[in-house]
Amino acid sequence: MDVLRRLEGLELIVVTGKGGVGKSVVTASLGRLLAARGRKVLLFEVDPRENLHQLLDTQPSGGEIINASPRLYLQHIEPRELIDDLVREKLKVNLLVNRVLASPVHRHFTEGAPGLKESAVFGRALRMVEGHGPSILRRPDVVILDAPATGHGVSWLAAPQLVADVVRSGPIGHMAEVISAFLGDRSRFGVVVVTTAEEMPVEESLELIAALDGRFGREPEAVIANALYPAIDAAEAEDDPATALWRDRRAINVTQLERLATAWTGPLAEVPLMAIDPGPALVGAIARRIEAQLRSS
Amino acid sequence: MSAPLTIVVGSGGVGKTTLAAAIAADEARRGNDTLVMTFDPSLRLKDALGVDVDPESNEIRVPMDAPGELWASLLDARRTFDTLVDRYAPDDTARQRILTNRFYDHLSGSLAGVLEYMASERLFEVASFGKYQRVILDTPPTRQALDFLGAPERIVSFLESGALRIALKPWFDANGNFKAMARLGVLGRNVEAFFDRMVGMELLRDMAEFFQAFTPLYDGFVERALEVQKMLRSDATSFTLVSGPGEQRVADTLFFARKLSEAGYRLGPIVVNRVHPKVDAAPEVVNLADGRGLLAWLGRRDHQGVAQLRDLLGDSHPLVVVPLRPDEPTNLESLAELGALLREQLKG
Ligand SMILES: Nc1ncnc2c1ncn2[C@@H]1O[C@H](COP(=O)(O)OP(=O)(O)OP(=O)(O)O)[C@@H](O)[C@H]1O
Ligand SMILES: [Mg+2]
Repeated sequence: MDVLRRLEGLELIVVTGKGGVGKSVVTASLGRLLAARGRKVLLFEVDPRENLHQLLDTQPSGGEIINASPRLYLQHIEPRELIDDLVREKLKVNLLVNRVLASPVHRHFTEGAPGLKESAVFGRALRMVEGHGPSILRRPDVVILDAPATGHGVSWLAAPQLVADVVRSGPIGHMAEVISAFLGDRSRFGVVVVTTAEEMPVEESLELIAALDGRFGREPEAVIANALYPAIDAAEAEDDPATALWRDRRAINVTQLERLATAWTGPLAEVPLMAIDPGPALVGAIARRIEAQLRSS
Repeated sequence: MSAPLTIVVGSGGVGKTTLAAAIAADEARRGNDTLVMTFDPSLRLKDALGVDVDPESNEIRVPMDAPGELWASLLDARRTFDTLVDRYAPDDTARQRILTNRFYDHLSGSLAGVLEYMASERLFEVASFGKYQRVILDTPPTRQALDFLGAPERIVSFLESGALRIALKPWFDANGNFKAMARLGVLGRNVEAFFDRMVGMELLRDMAEFFQAFTPLYDGFVERALEVQKMLRSDATSFTLVSGPGEQRVADTLFFARKLSEAGYRLGPIVVNRVHPKVDAAPEVVNLADGRGLLAWLGRRDHQGVAQLRDLLGDSHPLVVVPLRPDEPTNLESLAELGALLREQLKG
């Protein structure tokens, strides 16, 4: 099936990859792309160095939902606060809320309990697409999560099942079950892997693809090979240092794209390194490129 | 004069691991017995250092033809945890109890700060052992790289906050029932009922047991963590901050630099890595296939970033520029050359 159609039908997309490969730019570009195709899109950013607003040239979120352009919204999320919100919501009695929030058991539990914070982020995404958002954005069609580079990409995706396994009762356990089922539903949730065509990022992407398959029996919707040096004509005679560097870096890209191709035959978008500063122009150019590449892949 | 302990910090993906290995290889070549502690090296770098060969042992002698010895170790969360259990479990029964706790698998990979703590504990051992003249420490790809440095302090405050005491307290009576938080009265019972409703007491019991199993680890912990903190702030330690190229990275880098200084650490050089060379061509790109125009543009972008950083830093910290290479250095020879390049720039 057409991968763009598939992406269009999803309710949650997680964009993941190694540090610095272009996850945030791809998140913004995918958002732009889907919004242009008529979807109402909310981007979630967890990184404390907020930068999505700069890429979309709008004000920083500071935790609020910001409307960046028609049908495109963004929000910065602090997982801890989501958990505290949950306590407030379930308890309602103020005195008790303060007790619980101040309680070492709570702090200890939310810091130490594996997977809780990640699950809370997914939980918020699910609530949004199910229509429980605030009045500025009651119900986005899709949430795109700019996942932090953790070094082990599937840990985010595994989190809800982990919570469901250890918390077997009560609202948290129940919530984790629901989220887990949501993430298991291929018609609702998908992963987009971003990588550069360099050794370490490709290494990590291959591990990620294998782990997705092994642990969840699924594959990414698409892989984005970002920041590629342009192809160089073998007959390119000039041998100044810049041309030499261009040739060498391109050769690495080619080798690594081949390596990627041995393990990944699904949808792939090759995105060139562009001479554009980060901002809406770069996001637009990458969005167009991804669209064209995915259409033909 | 380089400090005995160099800690390499910076955001993910900027080349910390490679630079740490480069500094270490250079030090060994200059006659210093050197240990490099790395996280997450690439396959080829692992090969070059030989740290993949024997994952069981901690430090590995890297075969290198140099006047100083080069040693390397690989830090890995799961293995670190296993070592911890081996070292601190008082007997086999206790060891089994920890290993079969249903939390172990989950927590060993994710327990906040444990890996970082272990790294600093190892640092402390290594330093007090005096076997090496130089120790180079790579840092893990954390959400915020500074998390790493805060880990010992966080653990100390966690211990002192009483959270641990609560976890270690005999919460459950002989019948496995939760002992009511009696002194909190009705409120206490409500809080307790809330936790029970939210996550179930079974879970809290398991967590408590898990932490109890580690009690011996906490003995003397605070003292050691404080020692490590002192060492990290002493003259023996210098931080090398690695930054990606381009103006976009300047803010990130300054943020790090400020945080480090504010926290009382001694920030040494700032290394801007993978800088595209300046090119004598118009930085205008006619189309996406125009590689030379692109390189000119990238060269200008990266040098503007460097200039801006130099401006903002003034004389406060030396700035080292490492050019983007045709390929990543992954043999000892090219690593040592890269290390020498850093050192030369620092002299000048
Ligand atoms: N195809 C491209 N062409 C030009 N510049 C790009 C391209 N892709 C990314 N960049 C630039 O590279 C830098 C890193 O990208 P970005 O911030 O999206 O990476 P990231 O994966 O989100 O990083 P982090 O792991 O630090 O969050 C940014 O300055 C971005 O503008
Ligand atoms: Mg990012």
